[in-house]
Amino acid sequence: MQRIRPGWRVAVTGIGAVCGLGWGVDSLWKGLRAGRPGISSFRRFDHSRHRTHLAAEAGDPPESFVRSCPGWRRLSIADRFALFAAREAVARAGLALPLGEEAEAGVYFGSSTGGMYESELFFERFLRDRRGRLSSLIPQQVNAPGDAVARHLGSTGPVVTFSSACASGALAVGAALDAVRAGEVEVALAGGSDSLCQLTYAGFNALRSVDEAPCRPFRAGRAGMSFGEGAAVLVLEPLERALARGAEPLAVLAGAGASCDAHHMTAPDPSGTGAAAALDAALADAGLPPEAVGFVNVHGTGTPLNDAAEWQALKKVFGDRAGELPLVATKALIGHLLGSSGAIEAVATVLCLHHGELHPVAGEGEADPELPVNLVLDEPLPVPGARAAVSTSLAFGGSNAALVFSPWGDRPGEQTGDQLG
Amino acid sequence: MSEPVLITGLGTLGAWGGGSDRLAAALAEGLPLAREVDRSAGYHLPQSARRACLVPPGDLAGWLSPGEARRMSPPSKLAVTAARMALRCAGLCDGDGEAGTAVVIATAFGPSTNTEALLKQILDEGPEAASPSLFMESVANAPAAQIAIALKARGASLTVCEREAGPLIALGTGAAEIAAGRAGRVLAGAVDEMIPLLHALLDRFGALARPGEDGEELARPFDRRRDGFLAGEGGTVVVLESEAGLAARGGRALARVLARGGAFDPTAPPSGWGHGHRALARGLRRTLERAGLKPRDIDLVVSGASGAREGDRLEAEVLRAVWEGGTLPPVAAPKAVTGEYGGGHLAAAVLAAAGSPLGPTPGFAETDPALGITPLDGSPREAPAVVLATSLAAGGAAAWVVLGRG
Repeated sequence: MQRIRPGWRVAVTGIGAVCGLGWGVDSLWKGLRAGRPGISSFRRFDHSRHRTHLAAEAGDPPESFVRSCPGWRRLSIADRFALFAAREAVARAGLALPLGEEAEAGVYFGSSTGGMYESELFFERFLRDRRGRLSSLIPQQVNAPGDAVARHLGSTGPVVTFSSACASGALAVGAALDAVRAGEVEVALAGGSDSLCQLTYAGFNALRSVDEAPCRPFRAGRAGMSFGEGAAVLVLEPLERALARGAEPLAVLAGAGASCDAHHMTAPDPSGTGAAAALDAALADAGLPPEAVGFVNVHGTGTPLNDAAEWQALKKVFGDRAGELPLVATKALIGHLLGSSGAIEAVATVLCLHHGELHPVAGEGEADPELPVNLVLDEPLPVPGARAAVSTSLAFGGSNAALVFSPWGDRPGEQTGDQLG
Repeated sequence: MSEPVLITGLGTLGAWGGGSDRLAAALAEGLPLAREVDRSAGYHLPQSARRACLVPPGDLAGWLSPGEARRMSPPSKLAVTAARMALRCAGLCDGDGEAGTAVVIATAFGPSTNTEALLKQILDEGPEAASPSLFMESVANAPAAQIAIALKARGASLTVCEREAGPLIALGTGAAEIAAGRAGRVLAGAVDEMIPLLHALLDRFGALARPGEDGEELARPFDRRRDGFLAGEGGTVVVLESEAGLAARGGRALARVLARGGAFDPTAPPSGWGHGHRALARGLRRTLERAGLKPRDIDLVVSGASGAREGDRLEAEVLRAVWEGGTLPPVAAPKAVTGEYGGGHLAAAVLAAAGSPLGPTPGFAETDPALGITPLDGSPREAPAVVLATSLAAGGAAAWVVLGRG
């Protein structure tokens, strides 16, 4: 088996995203920076009989993208999100298409439900009268968005889809990091995609895990998550390769770690031990001490149990610093993207590092005295000297993942990846 | 550089019953194991496929506590049972390793029974009828999570969904966890259930073998008359350890993982196979090169050929391209016995690497001249030293794993 090559650093050279704040990274950053939630009533399906009625639904795609996408009508919504994010990331990375002709490229994707929304349209009829358009089932597979990316971008390297619920996207990014480090691929597209569907909307509501108001991570009175949808993709490649071809890295993906609570199918281990193990593993993989971390993009779903367990994990890893460390709660603005949440929050983390400031969330409501966190509220927070940042993903089934990014660049007051220990 | 990764335990259950001995016996005899699918729900078309390789009732007894059996979906039960079988085969107990044990499980369709029931509740009765217990066991990662909970495995928990390529990707991903030093032990494998609804839909897509004029319904991999695969179900889990880890605790290895690799055929339609054999062959060559191997070093190919008309054609094209027109090593097609899905192919590859003989290929009678591959006919052969396991998924993904003797 190939061993990971020591000393290899992996650059993020391109990012792409779709979510309730818009199509494209510029829309994402603008919305995040404004700190206004994109969570509101939505149109995807009739939710009048559901328990809650909010989601961060992606709007209509840019017409130019629709026109440029062959077979658009046959693609599921999750496929469309994935393709947009992948194309944007590849374009920003300055890579040519088809990918397979330029480099050995792999696709590492996460999704929790793939084309389930389209499947529901099929099953609504099939379960009633045994009829239905089979073609609407074709993109139903969980692996469909990742496969669609590889197919449309002409990628001929490995394609792997992870479906570990809300950790899927982050686990995919970690697997891509491994593949680049091991020399299995020269370029990796890592990300995830999920669209709103009734199955997960009704399922999480049945668990009473959804807030009737936009979610309020780490705040007193928080009552659950808000749904989101969308996709995000990061282009990863060896730092030396990126520099050699003249690409400007956005950040360095320094490490990844994963663990499992082995506790309960839906409830997190309240001690936070499993989540802390993933954070510790990611920092060890990056070769960085906890003191190097300048901020954390938390999983922060807004469920009472999850946020409490995450706080315990942060205390285990960061000790006395846990209450001072700035926390970024992206889900408060874009909702929970489930299988792609880890990917889009990785993109948000890269953007924060790249711009040297942390996006806020609306500071409405009371702070939770049980969770004395330093959540970034109301205004962007400058962090010019952050040596590293962590993004956490804590999933259904106890699957935890953490990613460590370090900055790249020469902006005043900012250390470069070269200076990292 | 290479890091030896050993397979020290194998647990498997499927149409052959519970245990690798039963699968080894079925493979040695070359017995087709399919039986009638329940078609009473009316999902099937009149002329549809009727058979699948289904787990016989009662084969989970003794492996799960009543509480576990009550709360788990069928795939979770299969996965936990296979994991416990694998640990026992490796001479380990539940909870051995704990913090350092990772879980990597592939599934093509996830917990279908629960998903179907939940969809019926939501779509027929209304979303307020959705059951929380059905939902929590409808997610694709439920089997991996239940293994972790049952066995206190606190390393990474990964679920791979890449259709027919998933089981080999899971094995390769698990081996990479060991090689990277992130896990001391990995439980890697595959699980799937074949419910009547899924069977009927696969048949409506034209994926399944249909009853022939003689009434037989066989997979016939590489055969000129092949017309689809036999759907299967089951669970297979292997225990992976480092050479140093095994040496420290004592024990024996069944096989070793020499290399993993993957590729993608962008010409493949979302639900079928394409014509990109050159790209896939390049991926397979790289896989062999990473292990320091040449095609002539392969003693046996345990092919993922299933009887799928286009899938077997592409598999043959890839193998012929890598061997550059030369003589191929013997090719086994165990999915003729195990069916597609559920990890039977993965278990067969491990058994072959461990020296278990593979017998004739049921259903095979006539070589397809366009393919030029005649799978094993039951002739006695030397145990292979190096085994190549292959799997080309509908939709474009491909995965390979190279196994050596323990």
